[in-house]
Amino acid sequence: MNTKAFIAWVVKITFWVLIAAFFWWTISNNLFSQLLENPDQFLGLLGRHLQIVLISSSMALATAIPAGILLTRPKFRKYEWIVVNTANLGQTIPSLAILALAMGFFGIGIQAAIFALYVYSLLPILQNTIAGLKSVDPAAKDAATGMGMTPAQILFKIELPMAASSMIAGIRTAIVLNIGTTALAYLIGGGGLGVWIFTGIQLFDNTYLISGAVPVTLLAITADQFFRFLQLFLVPKGIRKAQKAAAAAA
Amino acid sequence: MMDFLDYLGRNYADIFAHTIEHMQLLGVSLTIAVLIGVPLGIYLTTNEQLASTVLQAASIILTIPSIALFGVMIPILSTIGQGIGFLPAVIALILYSQLPIIRNTYTAINNVDPNIRDAAKGIGMTTLQRLWKVEIPNGMPLIMAGVRTATVLSIGIGAIAAFIGSGGLGVLIDMGISRGNQNMVLAGAIAISILAIAADFGLKKIQVKFSPKGI
Amino acid sequence: MIEFTNVSKTYPGGVKAIDDVSLTIEHGEFVVLLGPSGCGKTTLLRMVNQLEDITEGSIAVEGKNIHDLNKIDMRREIGYVIQSNGLFPNMTIEENVMVVPNLLGWSKEKRAERFDYLMDLIGMPPENYRGSFPHELSGGQQQRIGVARALAADPPVMLMDEPFGALDPIIRSRIQEEFMDIQKKLKKTILFVSHDIDEAIKLADKIVLLKDGEIQQFDRPAELLNRPVNDFVSEFVGEDSVLKSLNLYQVKDLQATLDLPAVEGSPDGKVFHPHDSLRHVLAHLLHPSRQYVYVEGEDGTTNGPVSVEHIEAFVREITA
Ligand SMILES: Nc1ncnc2c1ncn2[C@@H]1O[C@H](COP(=O)(O)OP(=O)(O)OP(=O)(O)O)[C@@H](O)[C@H]1O
Ligand SMILES: [Mg+2]
Repeated sequence: MNTKAFIAWVVKITFWVLIAAFFWWTISNNLFSQLLENPDQFLGLLGRHLQIVLISSSMALATAIPAGILLTRPKFRKYEWIVVNTANLGQTIPSLAILALAMGFFGIGIQAAIFALYVYSLLPILQNTIAGLKSVDPAAKDAATGMGMTPAQILFKIELPMAASSMIAGIRTAIVLNIGTTALAYLIGGGGLGVWIFTGIQLFDNTYLISGAVPVTLLAITADQFFRFLQLFLVPKGIRKAQKAAAAAA
Repeated sequence: MMDFLDYLGRNYADIFAHTIEHMQLLGVSLTIAVLIGVPLGIYLTTNEQLASTVLQAASIILTIPSIALFGVMIPILSTIGQGIGFLPAVIALILYSQLPIIRNTYTAINNVDPNIRDAAKGIGMTTLQRLWKVEIPNGMPLIMAGVRTATVLSIGIGAIAAFIGSGGLGVLIDMGISRGNQNMVLAGAIAISILAIAADFGLKKIQVKFSPKGI
Repeated sequence: MIEFTNVSKTYPGGVKAIDDVSLTIEHGEFVVLLGPSGCGKTTLLRMVNQLEDITEGSIAVEGKNIHDLNKIDMRREIGYVIQSNGLFPNMTIEENVMVVPNLLGWSKEKRAERFDYLMDLIGMPPENYRGSFPHELSGGQQQRIGVARALAADPPVMLMDEPFGALDPIIRSRIQEEFMDIQKKLKKTILFVSHDIDEAIKLADKIVLLKDGEIQQFDRPAELLNRPVNDFVSEFVGEDSVLKSLNLYQVKDLQATLDLPAVEGSPDGKVFHPHDSLRHVLAHLLHPSRQYVYVEGEDGTTNGPVSVEHIEAFVREITA
């Protein structure tokens, strides 16, 4: 084994050892005690957490994808740049600020949390849907039109499959951010696993902290991995291979 | 609305002080993050295997929700008596900044036109000369883009760090919520947003400045 | 058959891309639209399958005014090939080729059979490529697939916009020849855009030479080369037009205009075939070591000798 490979190996092992050490430490100090002793409460918080994530992100999907499709149609293309620039600007605004602003409008409660998360998830999905659809080779669309495909056939058979990779990447970003930001929803009365994290901070109680923070982290990482897998699964093979070939050539 | 303006009028000094605090946190963490991330990104271009490990680890770290990372760091750092305050905030911001900085540096150096690199070799530049005179200048826009992403990200996470006592603009939101002071919350949210948008805008301008002429 | 009647096209910006074009392309004819960049070739082509609206005048395909036809349906009955092949990267080669049959609702068996037939036609073994994806093919192969895709539903009319334009010269000339063989078998009505006069001469039954949206000359290639109607045409065909046109004539054309005596056989054994091009013959005659060549006559006789003067006399004849 050469030095470089050895260094890479050492770093990799260290990374995993640190993670293992962390879990060993939390378990040996009984830091998951909240979770283990109050499983019902935990499930309640988790359920609420997932509820907020699912409602806000499905609303975001249901808005952003059709909007992205509309904005790339010839009729509406002139509005595209306004929307894309607004979305870019909106994404610069930190999540905490969006939650706080939503609370300003809706007052404390789950509506404010869901609305804020909806807006926050909307932007990456919209942005990536538009980027994906715009990246479709115009020659392919021209050929499809010239061969007598209807606009709907072109959208479903050519454009959406070719934009799938970018769209799923947007959805992944949105949902992972959403899971993390939902942990802040407690602040504006939204509930969820953030309740334990903030309780832990306020009470200096490590068992609350770990029992809240670790599940949220695992949830986010699982969602991230799931969508990476989905990307492999849903993106047509030809495109995946073409992208790989292009990446290798670059 | 009048109420809000009134609040601003009475508290602008306070808001300004929190903004400065916020920028201090950013200044410290980003400086360290760049000092780690850029050399690491450059080194990774010479070690493919390590690159994939490090980039993967950095991308997992970026997936961790910030409040959860704080939640995990408090117990760990309290073993050295630093569970809350400035230090955990700085560590978190450094960690989160690594992915954009390392990835962009790595890509920037790797993407330097092979012809340019060849030409540099051909005229007898050493590896280090090539790095300083060719690869870094050519990769600068992309590296700056990574720093910009890291900065905007850090401004937002820095706001959340207020809940673990790092100070900064998040304090306005934290205190505003616990005191039920809407104006304070609003002032904090707007100030953070303006800071993020301004940083993004300013760094974009700098990024353009750094682009070698003719690119 | 495609008929253009007083067709004009003005783009929304005010550019008049096509100016009062009238033109009839007969059934089974291979017509090349030729002209400098921006002269309106693509526009004229794309008006046929209604990818561009017609500003004035009318176009009829197979006797029917396209205005009265359903856009989607008529496009499925017209083959369409473009330069940047426009293959769909998310579909396999078979799916790509079978796009139109699929739209038309052909049965699975009929499609599979058609795919095999088309792949044989373009000289790519069907079983090797059925499940491949476009990016796995070379540029030349992709372009062949583009042609096969346009032929899939056996359309009587084909529209081709610089289909071989992006290929390197050697591959291009090979595909041109293959395509000519295909056309000999299938006898499609073809409208083909090119800006390369050599390609046009090689492929076309007739050439439309356009300039600023107006037809300059619509003629057989040899006529265009040897009897240009105006300065633009003669300049466009170039100073070597006579030499180019010799590509279009064969030994048998020479024999038809001149009376060549029969001889005992060629002294060096080299005899040109009646289908050899005169350009080829001329190239041999210009070689310093040669003054005469011999050609094969009727019933296996050998005729000759043919000299450069004979070719000159022939050229005078055709350019008169
Ligand atoms: N969509 C459009 N809108 C406005 N003007 C156009 C459009 N398409 C083409 N034109 C203009 O119409 C004229 C003819 O264009 P066309 O594409 O038909 O030329 P062409 O002969 O195919 O050229 P080339 O050989 O470069 O492909 C040009 O002046 C071009 O700028
Ligand atoms: Mg054209």
